[in-house]
Amino acid sequence: MENAQAYLFYVFAALAVICAIMVVANPFSRSPVTSAMFLVLTMGCLAGLFTLLHAFFLAAVQILVYAGAVMVLFLFVIMLLDLKEEQRRQVKSLSLVAGLVSVGAILAIFVRSLIATKPGEGALANVEGSTSKLGKLLFTQYLLPFEIVSVLLLVAMVGVVLLSKKDLK
Amino acid sequence: MEVLKLAAPETVLVVIALAVLAVDLLALRGQPVSMRFGIGAAVAGLGCAATMLMLLGRHAHANLFDGMLVVDPLTNVVKAAIVLLTLFTVLISTAGKFTEHVGEYLALILLATVGMMFLVSAEDLLMIFISLELLSLSLYVLTAFNKRNIKSAEAALKYFLFGGMAAAFTLFGLSLLYGMSGSTNLHRIAEGLAGKGMDPLLIVAVVTTLIGFGFKVAAVPFHLWAPDAYEGAPTPSAAFIATGSKVASFFILAKIMMIGFAGAEGSAAWRTFISGWMPAMALLAALSMVLGNLTAIAQTSLKRLLAYSAIAHGGYMLLAVMANNEAGMAGLLYYVITYGLATLGAFGVVQVVEDATGNDSIISFTGLSRRAPALSLCLLVFLLSLGGIPPLAGFFGKFFVFSAAVGADGNHLGLLWLVILAIAMSAVSFYYYLRVLKAAYVADGADVTQATNMMAVPVATLAALVLLAFLVVILGCAPALLMGLLQAGDQVGH
Repeated sequence: MENAQAYLFYVFAALAVICAIMVVANPFSRSPVTSAMFLVLTMGCLAGLFTLLHAFFLAAVQILVYAGAVMVLFLFVIMLLDLKEEQRRQVKSLSLVAGLVSVGAILAIFVRSLIATKPGEGALANVEGSTSKLGKLLFTQYLLPFEIVSVLLLVAMVGVVLLSKKDLK
Repeated sequence: MEVLKLAAPETVLVVIALAVLAVDLLALRGQPVSMRFGIGAAVAGLGCAATMLMLLGRHAHANLFDGMLVVDPLTNVVKAAIVLLTLFTVLISTAGKFTEHVGEYLALILLATVGMMFLVSAEDLLMIFISLELLSLSLYVLTAFNKRNIKSAEAALKYFLFGGMAAAFTLFGLSLLYGMSGSTNLHRIAEGLAGKGMDPLLIVAVVTTLIGFGFKVAAVPFHLWAPDAYEGAPTPSAAFIATGSKVASFFILAKIMMIGFAGAEGSAAWRTFISGWMPAMALLAALSMVLGNLTAIAQTSLKRLLAYSAIAHGGYMLLAVMANNEAGMAGLLYYVITYGLATLGAFGVVQVVEDATGNDSIISFTGLSRRAPALSLCLLVFLLSLGGIPPLAGFFGKFFVFSAAVGADGNHLGLLWLVILAIAMSAVSFYYYLRVLKAAYVADGADVTQATNMMAVPVATLAALVLLAFLVVILGCAPALLMGLLQAGDQVGH
């Protein structure tokens, strides 16, 4: 059972990374729609990872909201704007070198910390992932952030209505 | 229900924001913009005043939900200062002709203030991030408010894209911190990190967090959005971004560094650099002071000049964070609050002149002393305070910050090199502040023709500006008024 979970983790993780690469650097197709579909696959793999962590609610939300609603909107926008195949941008060699160096440095640090850590070591977070426990947490310990997020959404709503409305003069 | 009691000032502001929105949309449709602005500002101003009274009248000490809402005298004073800046922003925007959406404008200003207040009260990474987003999102929209000006939209887009990147960096740093310490509470993070030394992962966390907040406080080299945003945004919005949001961001940056990264300071003393957040911040501070001041000299638009001066002042304030003790915290708050008052006033003057002459280039200020004597006297006070001339508030701000940085324990005069740089650079800053005042007071002969007719100054704006100038002078003559509050709060808080 433990083994099966470990294998599943590697399968989902590898798929997530491959799909994420395909979103931004697909060698076969440069159509935005293909990228968007690969993003859906990435989201699906992430949902799988969440399930393995026993965060079932998060996994369901990931599928419903991100892979479902958000990506559908994304596709609508792409179709409405009628985007053509992306032109390959000229990347300046200086920014390429700078980007590679910083990514390499961060990767090296991650790999180093990964090797230095033994399994089971390090800080443990006590997070509950089931829906009822999450709901209780949201309305007890995390009540305040929860309420502020509602104000945040109000601001976003007012902003969007205001910016998208045509002035009548 | 303790939440509701402790968060009562914030709750009142949210309700007032909704009330402003409702009154404007339901009752005042079809009325002239100036009347809608007047009534909306009256409601918003009364709400701000009530909130300030509530904040200054309470003496509670509380820590709710493990650091998500911390109420103590120090946070009360900082919140009251933020609400005061909001009140003045509302007053100087009443004469605005940049939008017809009065209710939305005032409501967003108030909601951004709510974000700042929660930010000030937060000692928990989750709350810090959410309130920071509430603040930023409101500011993006406020920047884009002038829909008749394409520059406003451009400024907002730049600000939004840079801000989004910055939020991603902040989130990356914060999640690493959480991963390393297993807690989102700042005090517990410091405990979790204690004894681990400078793990490379911790360095990544420090650097990305600093990058994120560097964008927020517009420190070089993350300052690129600031001049464009200040120039393109409606002037009251720019004033709000430059003042209230600075107070909240610097306070929370100092808190994260002093509490959360306690033990990971390193050292920025001359020739004895030890890795930690100090040397990284020293770099940001030095670059901001030098580049901000030198670039400001070349500006012709006063709003861009104020933007670069804001960047330079951000450098001085980072110096106060690096003092890393109570004196540094009190000095930082005194500095950022008095800087906020003076900058808000300067933007207020820009707004009036911009409305009268159509642009904000320094040439439009020619002969201001004859066209609007009271206005140019206010401008004189604000700019001299920003430059740091005694006996104005800006001088004492610089004095407190520099003495805190020099006297910081454990540094053994290590930060002296930065303080010397800061003093040299504030001498440079005189030049560009005085250049504006020269245009206003010593008009050249060729420009006298356009400088004869009087300029109409809206009453509410003039009242706000005179009050601001008065505050700047009073806080300069009696700095103990504010400093006493800050120090008392700080000592009780620790």
